[in-house]
Amino acid sequence: MEPPHAHALETVCIQCHGSQPGKGGVPVGQWRGSIHEENGISCHDCHGGDPRDAVNAMSPARGFIGAPAEQQIPAFCGRCHVGITEDYLKSAHGKALGTGGPTCVTCHGSHRVAAATLDIINENRCGTCHSFDRAAAIKDAMTRTEAMIAVIDAKIRLLKGEGVDTDSREKSLFALRNTFRRLFHEVDTARVEQESGRIRSELSAIDQSLALYDQAKQRRKFIGAIVVGALLLAALFSHLLKKTWN
Amino acid sequence: MSLPDKLREWFEVRLGIAELVEKRLTGYLLPRNINAWYSLGSVLLVIFGIQVVTGILLLIYYVPDADKAFRSVTAIMNDVPFGWLIRMCHAVGSNMMVAVLLLHMLSVLFMGSYKRPRELNWLTGFILFNLVLGISLTGYLLPWSQLSFWATTVATNSAGAIPVIGGYLVEFLRGGKLVGPPTLGRFFAVHVALLPLLIAALIGAHLFLLERIGVSAPPFGLANTRTRWAGDRFRHESHPDGIPFYPTYLLQDATSIFIYLALFFGVVFFNPYLFFPPTAFIPADPFKTPPHIKPEWYFLANYQTLKVFPNELLGLMVQGAVMSLLALLPFIDRGAERHPLKRPLFLACFIGGICVYLAMTIWGHYS
Repeated sequence: MEPPHAHALETVCIQCHGSQPGKGGVPVGQWRGSIHEENGISCHDCHGGDPRDAVNAMSPARGFIGAPAEQQIPAFCGRCHVGITEDYLKSAHGKALGTGGPTCVTCHGSHRVAAATLDIINENRCGTCHSFDRAAAIKDAMTRTEAMIAVIDAKIRLLKGEGVDTDSREKSLFALRNTFRRLFHEVDTARVEQESGRIRSELSAIDQSLALYDQAKQRRKFIGAIVVGALLLAALFSHLLKKTWN
Repeated sequence: MSLPDKLREWFEVRLGIAELVEKRLTGYLLPRNINAWYSLGSVLLVIFGIQVVTGILLLIYYVPDADKAFRSVTAIMNDVPFGWLIRMCHAVGSNMMVAVLLLHMLSVLFMGSYKRPRELNWLTGFILFNLVLGISLTGYLLPWSQLSFWATTVATNSAGAIPVIGGYLVEFLRGGKLVGPPTLGRFFAVHVALLPLLIAALIGAHLFLLERIGVSAPPFGLANTRTRWAGDRFRHESHPDGIPFYPTYLLQDATSIFIYLALFFGVVFFNPYLFFPPTAFIPADPFKTPPHIKPEWYFLANYQTLKVFPNELLGLMVQGAVMSLLALLPFIDRGAERHPLKRPLFLACFIGGICVYLAMTIWGHYS
């Protein structure tokens, strides 16, 4: 089976820009290894154009839109990341668009796009525009929630690998994770802390329901120990009885 | 006369129970030097019984439909009271059955009990071994998981290496070009109806032959370790100075069965996932091949043999030759001597064969 990004490697955009020295080839180098490349998102998926025709690849008639102006960036990325763009535009960051506020690429980069983690919120990045205090409080609330999600996710995977029906918990976790991720572009500290707290309490409920399986496993082992012990005693008794009979 | 005595008398005059007990239990004498290895046959009978009972219980909830099979097995594991226990007993039991059967056959080989006049005992046992492998293979597909789907794809694919008929054989086994719903249907029918009947019939034949010819004495601790059968006429091998089956050897059987059950329930309760990789709990996806598809442990040596040879046909031919040699061993190894230490060539082949099998299994696991 071909890797998901196989088709992305075949385009004329990559062939031409990839071999260019200097500025023209930089985006290809940055794109390689990005989350976009990993998921098969190539140049033409964002910039348009015809990826199979070298002559007309950058023709507007073939849908080429090139690089967006700064104010167009959220709409440019938002063609795929719809919900995130909505969240961004509602936030203080989005409201400052065009007046010096950050766009998507300010934090995520334009071509070297990595899977979003909380590490994006750091003093170097946030500190270039404002103090880190509020961002640090938001990050702290989110880090605790993210850690809980990771722990519960690992538990669910483990139980699933043991044949436990985890469907409903997986769905609940998926929904909570999505709700949580929509907070990533929220810059209102109070709201982030309140929402994170609510999500964590719902995560605790899932965690408690998973703990019941651990208890059941312990109970099974306890019963198993009694059964195995009884059988070994029966074997010993039977052996001794045979010796006596002999 | 009390009521129980009256009942006993009632049955006695109609069935001759006292005579039956005398003939089959207390008066049924076994070799004085009989050892614990002889009880593996009884252990196997118990395992087969557990497999039948748990299999019937699973049948109540299992749905042999490609769209519903995985879901039904998940329901058995999660929703049916003690469903997890029944399913784990069945799955772990199938693995244990192969292991105990291998031990039983190795002990028969080591003690030379396959030698004349017991060629038919060996042959029926050997066929039983193959049927058990077959029932394990067909049962493996039924949960319709990623593991079962792809393991069956690989296993049935091997048949394609047979010249001329290979392609047709693969299609016949799968009920189509690829493993799919028709494969599940035919594997289900073979697993729950055909093979259990055949196995039960072969067990009957095996026990009938054992009863007719008599139990062979182990070649240990005897002055004469050669088979005494001249080959001129039928002769039941009796042991007039032996020990009674009941109670003496029945207690040995009970000891072995209890030890086996302790081991079996130890796995079921403490490490039931010994035979289940995580792909065993992911529904089958014909479009997503999982990495490192491996067959069950008892097919790893066969799997590795196919990989060692430059082409699958050669690998299949070597396996066919080894299996034929094993099946026909009593007709090839016709010497009267049964003590392994007095048969150095056999002993070397026996130990060498086990080492090669283990090495190929381990190699297959890590390859």
